[in-house]
Amino acid sequence: MTGVIQTIVLGVLLGGVYALAASGLTLVFGVMNIINVAHGAMLILAAYLTFAIWTHTGLDPILAALITTPAMFGLGWLIYQLLIRRIRQAPASTSVLLTFAIALMIEGIIGLIWKGVFRAVTPGYFNDSVKVGSIYLPTARLYACVTAIAILVLLWLLLTRTWAGRAIRASSQNPQGAMLMGVDVASVAALTFAIGVATTGAGGSLISVLYPFFPASHYQWISRLLGIIVLGGMGNLTGAVVGALLMGVAENICAVYISVQWVTAVPYVVIFAVLLLRPRGLLGARTREDVAPA
Amino acid sequence: MILALEEVVCGYGGGDVLQGLDLVVERGSITCIVGPNGAGKSTVLRAVSGILRPRLGRIQLEDTDITHARPHEVLSLGIVQVPQSNGIFPQMTVRENVLMGGYPLRRDRELLKRRYAEVSELFPIVRERGPERAGNLSGGQRRMIEFARSLMVNPKLVLLDEPSLGLDPKSLKAVFDNVALMNEAGKTILLVEQNVRIGLGAATHAVVMESGRVRLYGTSREILDHPEIAELYLGGHVARDAAPA
Ligand SMILES: Nc1ncnc2c1ncn2[C@@H]1O[C@H](COP(=O)(O)OP(=O)(O)OP(=O)(O)O)[C@@H](O)[C@H]1O
Ligand SMILES: [Mg+2]
Repeated sequence: MTGVIQTIVLGVLLGGVYALAASGLTLVFGVMNIINVAHGAMLILAAYLTFAIWTHTGLDPILAALITTPAMFGLGWLIYQLLIRRIRQAPASTSVLLTFAIALMIEGIIGLIWKGVFRAVTPGYFNDSVKVGSIYLPTARLYACVTAIAILVLLWLLLTRTWAGRAIRASSQNPQGAMLMGVDVASVAALTFAIGVATTGAGGSLISVLYPFFPASHYQWISRLLGIIVLGGMGNLTGAVVGALLMGVAENICAVYISVQWVTAVPYVVIFAVLLLRPRGLLGARTREDVAPA
Repeated sequence: MILALEEVVCGYGGGDVLQGLDLVVERGSITCIVGPNGAGKSTVLRAVSGILRPRLGRIQLEDTDITHARPHEVLSLGIVQVPQSNGIFPQMTVRENVLMGGYPLRRDRELLKRRYAEVSELFPIVRERGPERAGNLSGGQRRMIEFARSLMVNPKLVLLDEPSLGLDPKSLKAVFDNVALMNEAGKTILLVEQNVRIGLGAATHAVVMESGRVRLYGTSREILDHPEIAELYLGGHVARDAAPA
C-alpha cells in the first residue's frame, strides 16, 4: 500500500511541474487558436539557459526562474511580432507548421551552442529527500512542485484580478465580444503569446532539476504537454492542471509497475483514449459551449 | 445629424454585402432599421463599430471620420453596440461581464464603481445574479446583462441589434422602457428590429433596408403608413395593427 501511495505522490509532484509547463500552451491555444508546437523546444531552451546560469554563476536552478521567465517573455514577444502575427488570420493548422519550424530552429541553435549531449542540473539537494510518515519526497521535486504551484497561482491572479487578465479571458471566450468592449484583441494576442512563452522560462528552470535533457528532448515534452491539454480540454487552464496531475501519476505508475521504457508512450495512449472516449477533454465540454463560431 | 454613412461598400471577404449604403441618424432620435433576413442590417452596425472595414465610402460621427477607426476607438468616441447574439463572456461572472463594459474606463476606479452602482440600480438582475457565471443565465437574462453592460461607458450613440430577440413580454417592456429612458437622457439609439410593431412603435425614424441598400427612409409614421412598404416588408396587417396609436 505504501508503495502505491509513494508512486502516486511522486506522480503528483511531477504533475505540478507539468501543469505549469502546460499552462502556457493551453492559454495560447485558448486565446489565439494557435497550437504552439515550439512550446516544448522553448521549455528545453529555458532548461539549457538554466544550465548555463547554474554552471557559470552557481545560482540555484530554481531561483534561475527569476531570470529565465522574463527572458522567455521577451523571446515570446519577439517571436510573436516577427512570425506569429503574420498568421493570425490563418487556420490553426498553419500555426502547427510555423511553430514546428520554430521548434526545429530552436533545437538546432541549442545543438550548436551546447552540443548534442545530455546535460543535467544537479544542485546540492539533488539527491536529498524529505520523509513524511512513510513517504519519501525528493527535495528537488518538492521544491520544483511548490514553485510551480506558486507561479500558477500568480498566473491565475493575473488572469482573474487584473484588467490585462480580464481582457485575455474575454478574448478567449468571445473575441468579437471583447472587441466591442474596446479590447485591442491584437495586442492582447501579443501579450498572451509572450505570457505563454514566459511560463516555459520558469517551467524549463524547474524541469532542469527533474530530468536530464538534450536538444531533441522537446519532442517528448511537446507530446506530453499536448496529451495533457487534450486530456484537460484544449484551452482550459483548470483542465490543464487536472490533466497534468493525471499525466504525472500515470507516467509514474507506468514507470514503477510496467516499465520505464514505456513512459514515453503514455501521452500517446492518453491522447488516443481521450479522442476516442471524450474528444472535448475532461473539462472541455464546459469551455466553449457559448462562444460564437469564429 | 450624429451619424452618417455615405456610399458604404462593405463585406466579409466574399462579395460586398453593403452595396453603396447611405444612412443618416439624427441626433436624439431612435432610428430603427428593418428589412428581410440577410439584408445587411447587422453588417451596418458592424461597420459602424469598426469590426468590419468598409471597402469604399465614408462613415462620419459628428465631425469625426470613423471610416477606418478601430473598435476601441469607436467605443471611446461614445458608440457602443449590443450585438445580435453571443455578446457575453460565458465563463465570467455577471459582475465581471458588466465590469468589462467599463473596460475603456479601467484607469478610473471611482468612475467605474459609480457607473457599476448606477447600472445595477437600473438592472436589478446585475445585483441579484452578480457572482454567477453568465453562461448559466437564460438567453433573455443574458440580453439584460448586455444592455446593462452597454451603459457602463455612458455612450452617446447606442447600437442595438434585435433587442427583442428571445425576450419575454415583461423583459421586452423593460428593455424598451430603458431604450426610451436612455433616449430621454440624451442618447441617440440606432436599433435593428424584426418585430416591426415594437420597433417602429418605439422609434422616431425608420430605415427600410433591402439587399445591402436603403430602400426607404423617413419618420416611423411615414414608413408605417407607406402602402407599398406595409404590404411588402411589414406584412399589411402588422402595419395596420401598429398604426392606430
Ligand atoms: N461573418 C460573416 N461571414 C461571411 N458572411 C457573412 C457574415 N455575417 C453575415 N454575412 C453575410 O452578410 C449578409 C448580411 O448579413 P447580416 O447579418 O448583415 O444580415 P441581417 O440583415 O442582420 O440579417 P438577420 O435579420 O438574419 O439578422 C448575409 O448574406 C450573410 O450571409
Ligand atoms: Mg442581423
